[in-house]
Amino acid sequence: MRNTALILALAATTFLAAPHDSPAQEAITGDIVGKSDAPNKLVFRMTTDGPRNNEPAYAQGYSKLFNDFIGKHSDWQIELQMMSGDIGQEQARMLEQAKSGSAPDCAAVDSFVLPLFKKAGVLQSFSPYFTKEEIDQLFPFIREGITGSNGNIYAWWWSTDLRVLYRNKEIVPDAPQTWDDLKKAALSSVEQGMEGVLFNGGRYEGTTFDWLANFWAQGGKLVDDDGKPIFGEGENRDKFIKAVNYYRDLVESGAAPKRVATIGNYDDFNAAAAAGTTALFVGGNWQYAQLKTALDADEFAKWAFSPLPGPAADQRSTGTGGWTVAAFSKDNEKVKLCAELARDIYMGPANALQEQLPTRADLYDKYEVFSSDANKTFAAALKFGQARPGAPVYPEISNQIQIMMGKVLTGVQPTEAAVDEAFGASLSAFKRS
Amino acid sequence: MMDASIAATGPQRIGRKAAGRHSPSPLPWLMPLILVLGAFYLYPLIDVFRFAFTNVSLLGTDEEYTLQTIVTTLSKPELLQILWVTFVFTASSVVVQQFFGLFIALIVLHSEKRRLFGSTIVRTTALVAWVVPGIAGGIIWKMLFNEAPFGGLNSLLRLIGVPAVQWLSDPHMVMWSVVISNVWRGTAFSMVVMYAASKAIDPVLYEAAEVDGANPWQRLIYITLPQLRTAILVNMILITIQTLNTFDAIISLTGGGPGRATEVLSLYTFNVVFRNYDLAAGAVLSILMLTISLGLALIYARFLPKGEPT
Repeated sequence: MRNTALILALAATTFLAAPHDSPAQEAITGDIVGKSDAPNKLVFRMTTDGPRNNEPAYAQGYSKLFNDFIGKHSDWQIELQMMSGDIGQEQARMLEQAKSGSAPDCAAVDSFVLPLFKKAGVLQSFSPYFTKEEIDQLFPFIREGITGSNGNIYAWWWSTDLRVLYRNKEIVPDAPQTWDDLKKAALSSVEQGMEGVLFNGGRYEGTTFDWLANFWAQGGKLVDDDGKPIFGEGENRDKFIKAVNYYRDLVESGAAPKRVATIGNYDDFNAAAAAGTTALFVGGNWQYAQLKTALDADEFAKWAFSPLPGPAADQRSTGTGGWTVAAFSKDNEKVKLCAELARDIYMGPANALQEQLPTRADLYDKYEVFSSDANKTFAAALKFGQARPGAPVYPEISNQIQIMMGKVLTGVQPTEAAVDEAFGASLSAFKRS
Repeated sequence: MMDASIAATGPQRIGRKAAGRHSPSPLPWLMPLILVLGAFYLYPLIDVFRFAFTNVSLLGTDEEYTLQTIVTTLSKPELLQILWVTFVFTASSVVVQQFFGLFIALIVLHSEKRRLFGSTIVRTTALVAWVVPGIAGGIIWKMLFNEAPFGGLNSLLRLIGVPAVQWLSDPHMVMWSVVISNVWRGTAFSMVVMYAASKAIDPVLYEAAEVDGANPWQRLIYITLPQLRTAILVNMILITIQTLNTFDAIISLTGGGPGRATEVLSLYTFNVVFRNYDLAAGAVLSILMLTISLGLALIYARFLPKGEPT
């Protein structure tokens, strides 16, 4: 009897100590997914959209996705390389590496720099690895963004996002529909002890992109079909100045605090919402989930979002961005694996995991998470979505808009002069390129 | 005579031969160092000069040798403002860092001499800021300067009844906010240099001055400062170059804004390369920075003592 007990105890100990069926912890060792002696190796450079995500639930979800993927490709090993938070610098470095032939085999490429990568001719075609049906299912602006001048696709754009107006319903019960509505609501919130509407206004890409919706809503165009800046000419100039003056007026009237000229981070809005110092801010759709985590349930229930106000209720727009996966390797097998990785891990599963908006209409029905009211509203708002122009001069236009916005919001320069200066500099950059 | 002559030259010849046999050529000894310096120090510098004479960018343009990049980059309308911002930032930071570094060093020395409690704490506190990375320093000061109702410094000011300050959104104030954050981080370096140099001053000089009835102010003016002259100049050279190259703290604090209010030359160069992908223009700006640093170093060096006449 004592022997039996001893054997049972040993068996139990052995069972508990033995590695269990937990693939999430088996195939990923450090930054390597797959067997160390796998004959083939793929280097994948990624953002935090992967097993190294700071949010444990996302990290675990991605670990499972990567493990499942490598289970189907057991003769491969994937080395994961993490990008830092400075996306602009990371993408520039990767472009430089790609031109010198030392880029990773496969990588996450920000949709806003994709035109630069396409123009530099460093991306490999994904066309052989995606069916026409799959490509046709993409939203038109996504399809256009990944397609090269020869008709081939050069990346897989798997997630998109958009900007909305968040509001505390207790302070601002009704969603502002127009610019005037927003100003009135913001001034009313100031009277109630808040600091008015917050938006990005510092030296930051978000400043340009979030504000551009106000220009696009009027039908304004940044560049022509050749990629030449035209925002400072003719009707475009009038629309541009009108949109800049809208923000200027918000600050000068006190509807927005002057400190918006220093904001260059969406986290600042979450902090202000958590501290209860603002009732309105222009943010990204992903912030809804962040607010849910950051606020108590009672506080979170007070928050809602609505499409960005336009100059008139029927003039709306919103900026849509997102991430793509693209291949740099000249080895067809690696390009194929990169395409499969984009399809199996990112197109759908990763969207559902992180509630990042898919780039295909059918995926909204496929995953239950997108049937929530919030995600349905985001999906509906995508119809007003507009991506950044696929012109290589865009980064310089964005830089000039950031500089212009700082000067205008702080009252250093009149709007017209600041706009003309930004246009001149953008045009000069275009001529150099 | 002949023998004497042989005797005089013989050993020299033998010595040279012996030296030739036993002293190996310096080249094999120096070659590894030359290779390392060449590969990691000289080659990038040469490449920067080469880039400056091209139109190379990351956007796929074919590389051509041209003088146009130099002309275009140096005639950009914003460059004058960038240089002015850089001058104000560097000059203010260097003067204030030098002053505070000397001030803290003298306080610490005096407190050590009098065996006062807390001198080590003062010294360590100043050094803590020095070990904080630039990016982290920028983030710390961004939180302190935050103009939100919950911002660090403004909350303190409100507590004592002082109205909030627009630390970062006022284009006239923001430069001083950036200088404050830079001085906070850089003062420790000046303090260490001044502390070490002050320790080396011969105490006999102070004893003689005391006998002569010199007051503390006279001792500072006629003994301490002249004795520290070399250290002050060397420190000025080092912190000027260090400040000219500062961009990490500024990028995380203001990003160069609002507008271009805090965009110094190093940050502008960074933006040209990493935001506009213009390698050639970045190379021209890098050479401009190098020239300014070298020029300032030469000017400072002219004031260094050339050694005592014998």
